[in-house]
Amino acid sequence: MNDARKTKRRTALAVVVIFAVVSIFVVRLVDIQVVSATEYNKESLEKRSVSQTTYGSRGNIVDTNGNVLADSVDRFDITASPLLVNTFERKSDDGTSNVEVPVADAITELATATGASAADITTALTEKPGSNFAYVAKSVTLEQLTAVRALNIPWVYDVLHPSRTYPMGSVAGNLVGFIGTDEPQNGLERTENTCVESANGTSTYERGADGIRIPGSTVTTQEASDGGTLKLTIDSDFQWYAQQTLAQRSIELGADWGTIVVVRVSDGHLMAVADYPSVDPNNVDGVSVNDLGSRAFSSPFEPGSTMKAITIASLLDAGKITPTTTVTVPGRRDLGNGQSIKDSWAHGDIRYTATGILTNSSNIGTSYLADSLGPDARRDYMTKFGFNSSTAVEFQGESSGLVRPTSEWDAVTNYAVQFGQGMTATSAQMASAYQTLGNGGVHMPLTLVEGCTMPDGTVTDLPSTEGTRVVSEAAADTTVGMMENVVNQGALKKDLTIPGYNVAAKTGTAEVANANGYGSDRIISIAGLVPAEAPEYAIVVTFAKPDTLKTSGAVASTFKKITTQVIKTFKIAPSTVPETKYPLNY
Amino acid sequence: MSNLAFATPLRSPAEEQGTRHIEIVSSREQRRARPRAAYAIVAVAGLFVLFIAQLLLSIVVSDGAYRIAALQTSQRDLGREQQALSEQLDMLSSPQNLATQAESLGMVLSTTNPVFLRLADGAILGTAAAADAGETVITGSAASLVPNSLLAGVPLVTATPTVDPATAADAAATGTGATGAPTATLTEGSVASTPTTLPSPVTR
Repeated sequence: MNDARKTKRRTALAVVVIFAVVSIFVVRLVDIQVVSATEYNKESLEKRSVSQTTYGSRGNIVDTNGNVLADSVDRFDITASPLLVNTFERKSDDGTSNVEVPVADAITELATATGASAADITTALTEKPGSNFAYVAKSVTLEQLTAVRALNIPWVYDVLHPSRTYPMGSVAGNLVGFIGTDEPQNGLERTENTCVESANGTSTYERGADGIRIPGSTVTTQEASDGGTLKLTIDSDFQWYAQQTLAQRSIELGADWGTIVVVRVSDGHLMAVADYPSVDPNNVDGVSVNDLGSRAFSSPFEPGSTMKAITIASLLDAGKITPTTTVTVPGRRDLGNGQSIKDSWAHGDIRYTATGILTNSSNIGTSYLADSLGPDARRDYMTKFGFNSSTAVEFQGESSGLVRPTSEWDAVTNYAVQFGQGMTATSAQMASAYQTLGNGGVHMPLTLVEGCTMPDGTVTDLPSTEGTRVVSEAAADTTVGMMENVVNQGALKKDLTIPGYNVAAKTGTAEVANANGYGSDRIISIAGLVPAEAPEYAIVVTFAKPDTLKTSGAVASTFKKITTQVIKTFKIAPSTVPETKYPLNY
Repeated sequence: MSNLAFATPLRSPAEEQGTRHIEIVSSREQRRARPRAAYAIVAVAGLFVLFIAQLLLSIVVSDGAYRIAALQTSQRDLGREQQALSEQLDMLSSPQNLATQAESLGMVLSTTNPVFLRLADGAILGTAAAADAGETVITGSAASLVPNSLLAGVPLVTATPTVDPATAADAAATGTGATGAPTATLTEGSVASTPTTLPSPVTR
């Protein structure tokens, strides 16, 4: 009896114990397999898997011929683990024995290899001795990286650091802009970022004990994507010549700044936009902060007499004048209220034709011609030529210039705007207006970006090719013919004539307003077209506030050099038709 | 094996006359229905073949992983080298550098008379005039006014190369010029060795 009961009790106890143990296991099992499963899985994966960033390549910026203006390159950051910095052994040069390398020697070798100073490296390595990470050198080239790797220092590592370089330096640096440490900061790099921008991807893979990737374990969580190639209308060789010539003359004249803009008249494409001074994007700190952009787009000024060609074209289109319309021009035009208009030289009554007024750049003569058309109509022509609104380029920081509404014009302004005072325009706007004259009166949208080719071959950002008619073809062609007389009969005939070619041009010597009205500073410019009989390129050369020579004559040598270079670069055949000559006096 | 089935009834009569022994002789159908060892052996052997194949495959695959890793590293390194070289090429072909080098060789840019030679008929378009030796763009203004900080260390082609003999020997020994420039032997090979004739490049 007792025995049987004992046995029963024992059995029960055993069963209870077994149940207890099993249920503990079950609970633990459920905990591991179900409740905390994701957590443990993650932890285990972290031990095996490596996450890596795959870098997309930022798109290049190229000129119209495909020459690279901005390029993405690999640079490397050299890092070290200060915690592990110590004397180490490596094979001697002949490979037979081991030599001990003290830390000081290693630092000297690193300094030689990376170009960083030994003192800086020492500071970086000793600043936080307990840390596992410190920069030895940033953005070193492949050459330097190879040198560092050859040192075989066990506590030195490297990481990829995609970077940007500008192989042509400041050629078009004013347009291309530059990028800072994190983001594009200036120019097209910034405004066209959506085209060239790349996206970094991430992927993970699992690796074995020896660090080798386990086949088939790569999981791409995000694909890296490359940026598109941004193609400009600029011709880099010609742009360089324009910048070099501009800088040379600006220094000679002591000009504060200068611009050269060259536009192809048939489609409004910019061949060159040179600025002086301008930035070398490889060395942004090399120039003042005001010189980082493009003054051709951002600096409006009173253009002066180059506007007279626009006035002539407007009046011709309105049918108010012909090249031989006669005006007796006195030495001074009194406008009442003590206001008057004068010419840049003293003279008595002169019997000018309209061509004579343009060729000799008479302000008074222009004012009499302008009387034939109402102010609103004249202002309308100006806005249609592109003044008072920014160009289609929409460059970073572009100014729209200013032509005040006619209600704000006083007696002098009414005439002054017609010879380029009392209104402002940028060099780009002036080039765009001359493009219209050269293109038979059709204004094409000014274009700097030829297109953006994405890595998959799609092309975006194609420029608009829709032109608007501003003046009749006859009016535009006649204006260009009248401007030819500036070159073949004007005061600068000797300096502007290019043998074998008909060139049309108009000079401008504008007074610069300061706090006390107009002072002694001048902005001098020449705008023109080549070849005059069938214009292909519009050229505008401007120097602001020169010290030595203050008349447009100082621009002539540069204008001629640029025009000659345009002829050579873009292969313009010599003129076969005789030059246009109108009588200047009657 | 199958011959065995027919062997039994063909036993010698002498044996039959000994101990009379009765046993159930399975019919041909029954014998045929029995599980046959052949199938089992084929199945087991097949499994083993599969296991071995699997093992060999994974050995090959993981061996491939090392090759892939090595090739990917060399592809990356070669890509970087190619990029570094094209970067250098772009820099050297910048207009500032070309103009400076050309003028150091005595070339000038004619800034007065644009003249063209039409190849189709040999006609000269424009008024031909000799360029003036003074028509320099860079030298005339003492320096390139279009800065390019990348060109800081680029010597003129006319400058006598000052190569440290130790570095040169080092570069030749390792076979990798510091900037990927062809090694000394290559340079000699690409130029004709007869000094009196024009050097002819080796085309590859």
